[in-house]
Amino acid sequence: MKNAVFIMLLTLLTASAHAGGVYQEPDAFIAEVFADDPPKAEVIWPDTELKAQIKEILGHDYNGLRIRYWKKDKRTALILDEIGKDKPITTGFVINSGRIERVRVLIFRESRGWEVRHSFFTDQFDNAALDDDAQLDRTIDNISGATLSVRAVTKLARVALLLDKTVNAQQES
Amino acid sequence: MTGRKPIKFTAFLWHRRIGLAAIVLVIILAISGIMLNHTEELKLDENYVESSLLLGWYGLEPEGEAISYDVGEHVITVLEHQVFFNTYPVAKTGQSYRGAVKAEQLIVLAFDTELMLLTHDGELVERMPTGHGFSDIQRIGIKYKRPVIETSEPLYYMADEHILDWDVIINEDITWAHKTTLNDKKMAVLLESFRGRGLTLERVILDLHSGRLFGEYGIYVMDAAAVALLWLSCSGIWVWWSRKLKLKKKRHYQKHHRTSGSGI
Repeated sequence: MKNAVFIMLLTLLTASAHAGGVYQEPDAFIAEVFADDPPKAEVIWPDTELKAQIKEILGHDYNGLRIRYWKKDKRTALILDEIGKDKPITTGFVINSGRIERVRVLIFRESRGWEVRHSFFTDQFDNAALDDDAQLDRTIDNISGATLSVRAVTKLARVALLLDKTVNAQQES
Repeated sequence: MTGRKPIKFTAFLWHRRIGLAAIVLVIILAISGIMLNHTEELKLDENYVESSLLLGWYGLEPEGEAISYDVGEHVITVLEHQVFFNTYPVAKTGQSYRGAVKAEQLIVLAFDTELMLLTHDGELVERMPTGHGFSDIQRIGIKYKRPVIETSEPLYYMADEHILDWDVIINEDITWAHKTTLNDKKMAVLLESFRGRGLTLERVILDLHSGRLFGEYGIYVMDAAAVALLWLSCSGIWVWWSRKLKLKKKRHYQKHHRTSGSGI
C-alpha cells in the first residue's frame, strides 16, 4: 500500500517536473488560427508613445524594436514573450474586432506556474477587451502557485489588445 | 601526582586545545579585520582581483570559449550564453551559435532554432523562433545582401529584405559566415564586459572575514572561531585566576612554613 502511494506521488511529481516545454510551435499556432492559410507576417515598429504604453503595462521596455503580427480581415494574431519569474513565456493571442478570441501558452520555460497553459485559465480571456485605462474589462482569477505566470500572461493580453488597436488605427489612417 | 584539581586541569587543557584549533581562523579574522578597517588606505575597493581561480569561484570566469563572427566593422560574440555586439551585451541565449551576417537593413544572428535581429548599431530588433518552417540551423550566409540559412536536411532559405518571409533557394553564390578570433586586447575588453565591474579585493576580504568565501557553511565556521575566541577569553581569565590563587596559597604556605620552622 505504502509503495503504491509512493509510486503515485513520484509519478505526480515527475509529471509536474515535465509539465513545462513547447506545447505548440509558434508557426503551427499561426497556421491553425488561419486554417492553414496564414497571411504574410507584418511588423509594427512601436513609436515613443506606444513604447511608453507597453512599458506602463509590462513595467519594463518590450524586448525588441519591432513586433510581428499576422492580420486577416478583422482578426490579428500575435505571439508575445514575457518573463514570469526567470524565463520568457511565449503566448499566442488572436484578437477579433478588438476582443480576445483565443489565448494559448505556446512555450513555457520555467519550472513552476505551467498551469496557465490550461483552458480553465486561458478561457477567462475570451471576449475580453481593453477599457479606457488600458485595463482588461474583467477580472482574471489567480492560480495559487502560479501568480507570476498569471500576471505575465495577463499583461501580455493587455499588450496584445493595445497592439491590435494600434494596427487597426494605422490601417484606417 | 600534580596536585591539580580536575576542573582546573580541564579548563587549562581545553584552553590549549581550542587555542591551537582556532589559531588559523583567528589569524584570518584578525588580519582581515585589520585590512577592512583600513579599506581606503589599502585601496581595497579600487583593486580588482585577476586570479582565474577566485573569479571562477565567484562565477565570474566564463567556462566556454568565445565564438565570434565579423559583421562588417563589428564583431558579434557569444560567450557563455551571453551575446555581445562588440563588447556590449545585447541578449542571452541557451542555444548553439551558428553565425552572424550583416544584411542590407539588419544584422542577423543564427542559433539552432532561433534568429536574432539587430540594428547596425547593435540594438535588438526581434528574436524569431524558427519553428517547424525550418529548424536545426547549421550555418548562415549572405546572398544579394540577404541572409541565407542552411538547415540540416540540407535546405537553403533566403529571407526577404525585411526578414519576414523565407524562400527555398539553391546553394549557389552564397557567402557563408566565418568564425573570427579576437585578439588578446579585444578578448580582455570582452572579459571585462562579461564580468561587469569585476571583483574588488574588498569583496574578497569581506567574504573571507565573514566566512562566505568558503561557501554556505563558511559563516558557521567563522561563528565557531568567534565562539572559540570568547571561550579563550573566559578560560584564559580562569586559568590566570586559578594560577594566581594557587601562587598566593603557595606563598602563604611557604611563609607560614618558614615562620613555624624557625620557631623550632
